[in-house]
Amino acid sequence: MILVVLEHDGQRLRKGALEAISRARQIGALGAIAGVVIGENTQAVAQEAAQYLPTVYAAEVGSYTPEKWAEAAYAAAQKSGAKVVVASGGRQSRTWTARLAYKMKAGLLEDTLETSADGQHIIGVRYSFLNRVTEKQKAALPVVFTAKPNTTPLAEPAGSSGVVEALEVSLPPTVEVLERLSEQKKGVSLTEATVVVTGGRGLGSPEAFAGVEELASALGAAVGATRAVVDAGWRPYGEQVGQTGKTVQPNVYIALAVSGAVQHQAGMNKSKYIVAVNKDAEAPIFKIADYGVVGDVHQVLPALIDAAKKLKD
Amino acid sequence: MPKTVAALGLLLSAMPIDFTLTDEQKELQKLARRFAKEQIAPVAAEYDRKEEVPWGLAEKLHEVGLLNAIIPEAYGGLGLGMLEEVIIGEELAWGCMGIYTIPMASDLGITPILLAGTHEQKQRFFKKLTEKPALAAFALSEPGNGSDAAALRTRAVRDGDHYVLNGTKTWISNGGEAETVVVFATIAPELRHKGVVALVVEKGTPGFKANKLHGKMGQRASGTYELVFEDCRVPVENLLGQEGDGFKIAMNTLDKTRIPVAAGSVGIARRALDESAKYAKEREAFGKPIAEFQAIQFKLAEMLMGLETARTYTYYAAWLVDTHQPHAHAAAIAKAYASEMAFEAANQAIQIHGGYGYMHEYPVEKLLRDVKLNQIYEGTNEIQRLIIARHILKG
Amino acid sequence: MKFVAVIRQVPDGESRLKIEGGKVDLGGVTMILDQMDEWAVEEVIRLQEKHGGESVVLALGLERFEEAVRTALAMGIDRAIHLVAEGYLDPISQAEALAEVIRAEAPTLVFTGGQQADWDSQALGPALAEALSWPVVSWTTQIELDGETQARAKHDLDEGAEVVGVALPAVFTSQQGLNEPRYPTLPGIMKAKRKELKKVPVSASSKVEILEQTIQEKSRLNMMIDGKDPVAAAHELVRLLHEEAKVI
Repeated sequence: MILVVLEHDGQRLRKGALEAISRARQIGALGAIAGVVIGENTQAVAQEAAQYLPTVYAAEVGSYTPEKWAEAAYAAAQKSGAKVVVASGGRQSRTWTARLAYKMKAGLLEDTLETSADGQHIIGVRYSFLNRVTEKQKAALPVVFTAKPNTTPLAEPAGSSGVVEALEVSLPPTVEVLERLSEQKKGVSLTEATVVVTGGRGLGSPEAFAGVEELASALGAAVGATRAVVDAGWRPYGEQVGQTGKTVQPNVYIALAVSGAVQHQAGMNKSKYIVAVNKDAEAPIFKIADYGVVGDVHQVLPALIDAAKKLKD
Repeated sequence: MPKTVAALGLLLSAMPIDFTLTDEQKELQKLARRFAKEQIAPVAAEYDRKEEVPWGLAEKLHEVGLLNAIIPEAYGGLGLGMLEEVIIGEELAWGCMGIYTIPMASDLGITPILLAGTHEQKQRFFKKLTEKPALAAFALSEPGNGSDAAALRTRAVRDGDHYVLNGTKTWISNGGEAETVVVFATIAPELRHKGVVALVVEKGTPGFKANKLHGKMGQRASGTYELVFEDCRVPVENLLGQEGDGFKIAMNTLDKTRIPVAAGSVGIARRALDESAKYAKEREAFGKPIAEFQAIQFKLAEMLMGLETARTYTYYAAWLVDTHQPHAHAAAIAKAYASEMAFEAANQAIQIHGGYGYMHEYPVEKLLRDVKLNQIYEGTNEIQRLIIARHILKG
Repeated sequence: MKFVAVIRQVPDGESRLKIEGGKVDLGGVTMILDQMDEWAVEEVIRLQEKHGGESVVLALGLERFEEAVRTALAMGIDRAIHLVAEGYLDPISQAEALAEVIRAEAPTLVFTGGQQADWDSQALGPALAEALSWPVVSWTTQIELDGETQARAKHDLDEGAEVVGVALPAVFTSQQGLNEPRYPTLPGIMKAKRKELKKVPVSASSKVEILEQTIQEKSRLNMMIDGKDPVAAAHELVRLLHEEAKVI
């Protein structure tokens, strides 16, 4: 039996849930697939999930904490006799799935690009060494694995309606959420964008980012920032690309006055095309750039905005 | 090849010579290397361009314990030996020789006090140099004499409880920032080296002025000063040793402090090699990276030949100091050899970089400008050869 | 109070990685205390400076991890325990071994890096928490203790952040912004020589096997556009992206 933990926003299933279902179906030879919806308004969301899976558990445990999620997933795994648990990756997911893997004494395959079954084993492919190495891992069942977002086609509904079952979960000791601080969302989402324009410390000042925003606007792109820029307080943390920020994989990543430290590269080195503008010809970013301009970003940027606007028209 | 760490350890302990650094020395090297990479290298070009002293870096060096570390533990320092100094010197100089000269010249200003100061003097002066970020300086050279040190003209005249200093010193590193400057003066010029006194002049003493010298070819982050003494009254308690000891104190000091200069040259050569190897692997000509051409490979090989031999010999010279053996000739060999091989390394680094090597934007032209001074200060390489020849011919 | 930091030793960010026999070969690579674990060590030292008590650094890994352990001692941690294990051991299995030592130490809290630069895993902290039956706060950017039994921490979520109250003992994992780590100072390095470093051999079997590692560097065009005329360069760039790459 395979259990899929279905990500949702309190109303509808998220993209990640549909990717996770696809991953489960790919290893369908290992057994039947069940789903679990954890959190709030789970019955309603489970009804949607039942369009995809024959059995869906609804575990009403309130708002997210890693302990609650791990406990609920564990209860569902035990109830269903699941030997594989699948979820979509993300920081929260990678926290609670690790707890779950320990509970199940399972092999944990994190943030996998692809997964397959091999007898009573799961084989997963993932990145390591700050996204520079591709590694193939193998673990004997039971296995818990997370799927890297945006690497799997979204599942289609099954065609018949499954059964929804409420799941009792005894709440474990956990943290008390005192305050939620949501990210200021403006413009295109970084992780979904097909074009990203990132500014680095070499821009010289927070005011120079007005140009970055203008170029992004002209290209329908998301704005990104390096860690140096965020540490300097010029841009919000939500825009940071890199190991401790977001990982993006757009069609084109335009790096303006970004030196390209390996921790930054970890967040964007899988972009289809990389463009770099920097006055330092030795900047590491040029090693991974498809197109590079060694020059003063303050002169190149206005011309880029100009050209981009002309393209729009 | 010993199969385990334990087996290697046994083998090494049976050897008369051991080239392994201790765990503590390795940690020290890591600290200095990291400091050079994260704190020094990123700002070196800017301070070189502006010819400005990065005082903030001196403070940071003090915070991590790398400033004035040769001051013994009894006086608030860390009592580092010469080998530790050399390890640190190579790493910091890799970042920037000019910036490294700041702590290096401070050690130069500390050493006379270490060699000839009384317990009371060491307490008094070293306290100032350890309780907060502070620098020392060593003032021997004058406008009219460098190599001919015994011909110095700065005059010290005893007047009651003071010596009255009159004269000018020049090329003094840290001279304008230093808390303490060891000034070599003469009480009787006709006695030449037998008439020299070593006096510690403290910052702020009336009659002591420091004028910064501008327009240096290299090592521009190090502050180089002309010191002017006009009826400057220095207390008798600040005399190191006896009247007439000054010249010997100066020479014994330089016999030691030449060794960190050699370490600095090794650091420069290593930087030259690192930059050149990196560039050669990326730059293409005639269809391939230039690193694949013999001409370039020969240059890189020669850089490594030079720096490895210089480093190993510098460690030997440091070992002689740390084991209290005669070391004047070894220090001279290290200083001269290292500065000359480093000059050639920097020269070839520019050549490997071609036109780009000639531009400020690339770090290699600065290496040549910086290392040239290593052939001049702390005793010119010609003086080093005299010292070495004397060692050969005396026996 | 007692504060424990769990660390790993990983390749330095600038190192070039090589593959030998289908696995990453770290021979000749500069190894360092992982940066995110360094934030954990720094926070533990700060907590000790503020609240008193004892600090311990714990590592599970190869013999050479000792260098990273010494760095933590040189930064100011009181003593160390190094569980020596050869070969790869997955985070869940590591958590089992580490939890045994931590239970014996009975600390106020455990801090580790949110992710490490070799295995790119985020699992060690949460798995440790599960092994100890403690709560976990991952991606912590701020922490304050309220006595020995309570803490208040700010941490990152997938979107945004939250402030939580957590009963101690608990596990925290670090995130950028938590602190600026101090350099191991020279006096610190010298003191570290005399600090206790207990080595315990550990044999455990890994639940995950690494079959193969490859470096598939996406081959890049590395096309440099002459920047002497910035305006012309910009226009050429946009043209290439539109007409050749067809991405805008």
